[in-house]
Amino acid sequence: MTVRIIAKLDVKPPYVVKPVHFEGLRKMGSPAELAKKYYDQGADELFYIDIVSSLYQREILFNEIEQVANKLFIPFAAGGGVKSIDDFSKMFHMGADKVVINTHAIQENPDIIDKAAKIFGSQAVVVNIEAKRWKDCWECYTDCGRIRSQKDVSDWASEVEQRGAGEILLQSVDTDGRCRGFDTELASKIVNLVNIPVVISSGAGSLEDIKTLIEVASPSGVAIASLLHYDRTTVQDIKKYLSNNMAVSQ
Amino acid sequence: MIGIVNYGIAGNIHSVKKAVEKAGGNTLVINSPSDFNLVDKLVIPGVGSFKDAMQELESDNFIGPIQEFSKPILGICLGMQILADLGFEFGKTKGLGMIDAEVKPILCDGKIPHMGFNRIKITTPNILLEGVEDKEFYFMHSYEMVNYTDIVALTKYNNHSFVSVVHKGNLYGVQFHPEKSREAGIKLLSNFIKL
Repeated sequence: MTVRIIAKLDVKPPYVVKPVHFEGLRKMGSPAELAKKYYDQGADELFYIDIVSSLYQREILFNEIEQVANKLFIPFAAGGGVKSIDDFSKMFHMGADKVVINTHAIQENPDIIDKAAKIFGSQAVVVNIEAKRWKDCWECYTDCGRIRSQKDVSDWASEVEQRGAGEILLQSVDTDGRCRGFDTELASKIVNLVNIPVVISSGAGSLEDIKTLIEVASPSGVAIASLLHYDRTTVQDIKKYLSNNMAVSQ
Repeated sequence: MIGIVNYGIAGNIHSVKKAVEKAGGNTLVINSPSDFNLVDKLVIPGVGSFKDAMQELESDNFIGPIQEFSKPILGICLGMQILADLGFEFGKTKGLGMIDAEVKPILCDGKIPHMGFNRIKITTPNILLEGVEDKEFYFMHSYEMVNYTDIVALTKYNNHSFVSVVHKGNLYGVQFHPEKSREAGIKLLSNFIKL
């Protein structure tokens, strides 16, 4: 099976934005337009994260999600501001195949992971981990990389696996949006630790960066944002590059 | 008219409905037992757990109508798995008993759930797979159907082969999600519509 190439949309409705270190948002286009563009380019999957709904404690804008889902015939994961089983349910009804959760689960109610996995199946529950390095460890952050949780990333990754999460989206607050390469050490550590798929995000600045990440950490998927948003490459080009430059496909 | 069985709170019927329509089918979302009389074919989508799915079908009074449905049925993912006799997700649960099979956890060295695009290897040519023999489909599952008699295609994940397509009489089942498998999935659905 080949590594999934996933397009990631960080959304501040009504725009896809691109933060650097999760700060300093730049408008990139509408979620529905970009979703269609990356679908046409051959993305294996799409992640949609409303990056401000948790932070501003705003209601989830389900209409936006439905508009994106309507354009796609590939798996679609949506998240941002999810606080209840009812939110999960609404996301699925709007066309999401997986729901991504972070802040609420880590700050208030980790049991929501168990509950959601039981009702919707593990494969539909993705936990987003925003990791920031501190000495030799990484700490989980929430609310779009702003609030410390005092939870160690390894401990939390193991815990969410135990609780029934079907996938981890691992982002790095340190490398996000800088386009200078992934935190491959963090990626390897978590991929080796858990037995559920791990999707790595944050840091792709070149095709080589993606190749290096796959060689070093063997993630199940790689989520790409800036490189695609700035038209510096396309999903086709990434796939072509990987198939030409990697000895054995994963 | 293609009926799409609506059961459970999980329901990804939205994406299945959209894909069947894209494939050229007219759809009717089935919300009550009498709706089964209005359709020529049935699609059973699947998201959630075996146990919850069976409980939902029972409380909706859908079990009888599905078992008695004599026209083509396509089960997708969990919708295929529940056609089996028994499921082992969250305890032992009786399935619809329409295919001689059991549904068990995938046992292999790879990460579980098995998630992503993967190929199928056809063991028995079938009209459902015409034109998509060499294509990849999207899988998203932790359990597999163990069956020996009705296999149409197998899929390999980390050196572990499992059943990815079955066919028995009016029943068709696919472990992957055609509604999430781009043009190949739409083609498969259009093959089903034309049966």
